[in-house]
Amino acid sequence: MAISEADGTQELLRIDRPMGWRAAAFPYLMFAPAFLLIAAVSFIPIAYAIVQSFFRSNTLALGRFVGLDNYRDFLFTLDGVATLEHSLIFVAGTVLIAVPFGFALALLLNRPLPLRGLLRTILITPWLVSNLVGALLWAWIGNPQYGLVPYLLEWLGLSMPNIITDPGAAMASVIVASVWASTPLVMVFVLAALQSVPGDLTEAARIDGASVWRRFRKITLPLVRNTTMMAVVLTSLHAFKSVEIILVMTSGGPNGATETMATKVFHEAFTLLRIGVGSAGAVMIFLLNLMFTMAFVRVLRTEHGA
Amino acid sequence: MTAHGNRSKRQGRKLVGGIACVAFLLFAVLFAVIPILWAVLTSLKSPREVALYPPTFWPQHLTFENYAGAVFNNPTYLHYLFNTAVIVIAATCLCLICASHAAHAVARYRFRGSSVLMFAMFSTIMIPGVAVVIPLYMLSVAVGIYDTVAVLILVYGAWLTPTLVWLLRGFVIVIPNELEEAGRIDGHSRLGVFYRITLPLMKPGLLAGAVLIFANIWNEFLLGYSLVQSETARVIQVGIYANLTEVGVQWGRLTAAALVAMLPVLIVYAFLQKAFVQGLSAGAVKG
Repeated sequence: MAISEADGTQELLRIDRPMGWRAAAFPYLMFAPAFLLIAAVSFIPIAYAIVQSFFRSNTLALGRFVGLDNYRDFLFTLDGVATLEHSLIFVAGTVLIAVPFGFALALLLNRPLPLRGLLRTILITPWLVSNLVGALLWAWIGNPQYGLVPYLLEWLGLSMPNIITDPGAAMASVIVASVWASTPLVMVFVLAALQSVPGDLTEAARIDGASVWRRFRKITLPLVRNTTMMAVVLTSLHAFKSVEIILVMTSGGPNGATETMATKVFHEAFTLLRIGVGSAGAVMIFLLNLMFTMAFVRVLRTEHGA
Repeated sequence: MTAHGNRSKRQGRKLVGGIACVAFLLFAVLFAVIPILWAVLTSLKSPREVALYPPTFWPQHLTFENYAGAVFNNPTYLHYLFNTAVIVIAATCLCLICASHAAHAVARYRFRGSSVLMFAMFSTIMIPGVAVVIPLYMLSVAVGIYDTVAVLILVYGAWLTPTLVWLLRGFVIVIPNELEEAGRIDGHSRLGVFYRITLPLMKPGLLAGAVLIFANIWNEFLLGYSLVQSETARVIQVGIYANLTEVGVQWGRLTAAALVAMLPVLIVYAFLQKAFVQGLSAGAVKG
């Protein structure tokens, strides 16, 4: 995955000098600090999480071995299946809105527009705001008591369901905040890909009489498809593991209606201190993430092969 | 006549399309900025005015008391800002140092096991933070660095290292090998060549990487929340969350605190936008 076979020049340094132990050790020594750092913070913890998920650990100690009980408890006793459902709704809602929205914005910004630079800067801004602060801004603007959005809707003669007490409205509100945070990434990715589409290609097709839609479908879309897929994956993975937005806006409520797998892991571990159950959830999130990514890599590969 | 009719029809469609585009862009801009602008307006109102319904749009009496109370006269908040700045700077340095060396190794040498090591390293990008917070919490307690600035420097430093190795690798590959060869012939050691020749040429990548790390760490919440408990080592995002969960949220103060916490990333991005975008796209293309 990581090393392309083509960089044959890299062999030069090695070939024309006799290999002493220093020369042999050099790349390892250069690689070691980064690798050790990552081992300490990623490999060991993920391995430990897997071990923990088989033990009933309530405090800092591992406790008793319980096999798959934690997984069973997480999914069935403690309503984990519902949280998986909420995760899927949250991710699908985010991706299905943010990706077309960001894509459309990228298409518009790729054309010569007045104030294009300013527009791009403004539209990127939500990306630079932390999810926590973004969620807080949305929680305030949609606040049922003092918020701007309920007031405006009321002024228009509509009544907005309370985003704190109404399950559907709560889910909709966290999706809106998530779309707000995710759209810029899609836009930036697609825009970068669009700018690499050669202009004379579309121009030639235009002269040949191809319609706008046809030019888009036959030339632009194939050239930006991989990048768009990449944006879909990054947006999904991000939404799937996101805790801040839900934590700040609904804290999983009302009555668990917006509790996702990620926030459930958070609550199990840090509010309820059920470390084993939390770890089981964490391992399942990791596995789902891995499966999703591998499926995506597979799709990309087969497309390239075809 | 028909030709003329067709043309005006086409022009009419073009006009409608144009209006639709402008309306769409206007909506997108409003969607992006209104939550921020509304927070700015709220932060400039007095507590009494914030609690009015229907809400006032422009503050009746412009006041900076929220900023004074929540930020400038609030030593705890300033302490969080200071903590975050220290952690971000130290973690960025740690990450850049480790990643630049590793990037040189993986770009220039094919050593035994290198592809396995690299695959292992890059696969960690896929590990979601929420999956490792619990073991990281327990490990940091076991090692005795729980609830310190050090644990966050270490964890944040490692967090983006795989991404940075990937990014910087693209910058090393395009440096002509002859340059490094010449350095060796001049009698420098391998490490000396790296410091004298390779590293300075990686500067655009290091700069873009620094912006990326800075923004990500400054905005991180989950690890900061789970690895630190006391106010002494708390970071800014966690500080804001702590205010939110207090009883009787004061939205004027809260929005002021949140807006100030947003600023550093906006400022860094504004100044380094060009270097950031160029560096990232250069790294992506070459990698």
